[in-house]
Amino acid sequence: MSFWNASRRVFDLSLGEMLWSRRTIFMALVVGGPVLLAVIVKVVELFGMSALRVNRQPVAGFGIFGVMIWMLFLRFIVPVLGVFYGTALMADEVEDKTITYVFTRPIPRGAVLVGKYLAYLACTMLVVLPSVMIVYFLLVPFSALPETFGSLVIDLGLLGLGLAVYGAVFAFVGAFFKRPLVIGLLFAFGWEQVVMALPGYLKQFTIAYYLQALVPHAMPADGVASMLQGMFRENPPVAVCLAWLFAYLGVFLYLATRVVERKEYVLEQ
Amino acid sequence: MSNRTRYFVAVTGAILVVGLGTGIVASYMGFPVSVFSSAAGPEELEYVPADAAVVAYANVRDVMNSQLRKRFQEMEPSQEHKNDFEEKTGLNFEQDIDTVVAAMMPKGNIATNPEGAFLILARGRFQAARLEALALEHGATIADYQGKRLITHHDTDSIGPSKHEDMAVGFVEADLIAFGSVTAVKASIDARRENRNVVSNVEMMRLVSELDNANAWAVGRFDAIAGQTGLPTEIASQMPAITRFSAAGHINGGVSGVLKAETKDEASAQNMRDVLKGLLALAKMQAGSKPGMQQLADSLILSGDGKNVALSFSVPSEVLDVLEGLAKGRKGM
Repeated sequence: MSFWNASRRVFDLSLGEMLWSRRTIFMALVVGGPVLLAVIVKVVELFGMSALRVNRQPVAGFGIFGVMIWMLFLRFIVPVLGVFYGTALMADEVEDKTITYVFTRPIPRGAVLVGKYLAYLACTMLVVLPSVMIVYFLLVPFSALPETFGSLVIDLGLLGLGLAVYGAVFAFVGAFFKRPLVIGLLFAFGWEQVVMALPGYLKQFTIAYYLQALVPHAMPADGVASMLQGMFRENPPVAVCLAWLFAYLGVFLYLATRVVERKEYVLEQ
Repeated sequence: MSNRTRYFVAVTGAILVVGLGTGIVASYMGFPVSVFSSAAGPEELEYVPADAAVVAYANVRDVMNSQLRKRFQEMEPSQEHKNDFEEKTGLNFEQDIDTVVAAMMPKGNIATNPEGAFLILARGRFQAARLEALALEHGATIADYQGKRLITHHDTDSIGPSKHEDMAVGFVEADLIAFGSVTAVKASIDARRENRNVVSNVEMMRLVSELDNANAWAVGRFDAIAGQTGLPTEIASQMPAITRFSAAGHINGGVSGVLKAETKDEASAQNMRDVLKGLLALAKMQAGSKPGMQQLADSLILSGDGKNVALSFSVPSEVLDVLEGLAKGRKGM
């Protein structure tokens, strides 16, 4: 069976498994939060009040949507889903001691990882992107739709790219390291957050640096960390950001495939 | 792939497709705002032509009933003058006018032909027959335009061809009149009839929808006014690079409001914020020793990011006490 045919078969099998696993409940809660918040904002606005005020000025629906994209989706949901799903692509099979059955099939080992990675992408995108769409239509009035729709499309593309890049990085982490979840959480919520708040070139070794430079909304200042990140924020050109993000995606996915093909997984008895 | 997985993929995919489809249609073909939601602002906006550069609104009833107005009632024109006007027109401004919407259209040059550029829409209770009779007495003519009564006053005072447009009052609804040049009033009637009004102007409606709890406001394109007022080039070039503005106020015991400006780029907005910061610091320093003014200065808050600059203010009753005292002092009361 060719590599891509094998990947497709693994994708078919893995998508159902991922969608109806216990992790999906976690994902539904994480992604349902912004939708619930948007509903509350809408109800508050229906009563003629402003849900969010900055310096006593009401923030328009699209402004609230921008804050949600930054604070909920880009800084939390995308990395957290990348960590939980990405690291589990191979680690789950090792932990459940089912990897032997997968590897004994007459398919390339790398195709298993690629198929599972594509299933992860489909699964997370099919949950995250419709949730963003619902939040957008709840918060942004129809009169503002023509002028803000371009930003929504950029947001959707950015979130999709973020899920893909974080997924690839954590797929490698899951395939290579023994305690991938801890390493993944340390990378996403330790390394990236700290380095982004520091001056210097180290932030170039994060995904957030390139991803956040592409966001079409103003960066909210919601705390000391955000303030520092805002102070040391740089905006590399779009082409540079996209090139680095796709490079991360390609390199880490390739490395993850190589690791899966070469590594001898020793199952603990 | 199991059936429930297929259903899930179909439903989430459908949400994305419908959302993206709606957005694409709205972006490229435009959406009448009323399709899914009621438009922001008063209903009178449907009579304002789509190309209006400035739109202003005042809830006259709210303002008339406000405590602020009651404080300054003594300084208004004498009752005799008011009764004279009421006798002739049957119109009592305090009781008969509810709201007023004014619009400015960037047609021709405002400096040379101001009346041609303005349209005023007043909602209230009008005695049409009495107004028509009065107009006829003063040489006006009455005609129908698209089923609406139109009182037109010709400029007969000037010798030769008049430089000014004929003025008109149109009874566009039972409780709504449009006042302005004949062209403006006819354009107003057409705007409603053809559904090509300011409600479909996305930029203007965005500004209107951002207003919050204001009983008087104005929004518009600053560049359109600056380009039409006939300002000397030297002055016009020194004006800040503002593209759009909005001013909203709430009048009751005091006056609170916010002035917002949108500049052509972020650098201009930053310059403007810097200048305003300096002025605010100066105002706070000057107001230090006067308690009422101190409160006013403290209420001034500068905000905004990107291309936006906003200045909110609140005139407390202490400042109004000072102003009232000054006004009474001048009148020798």
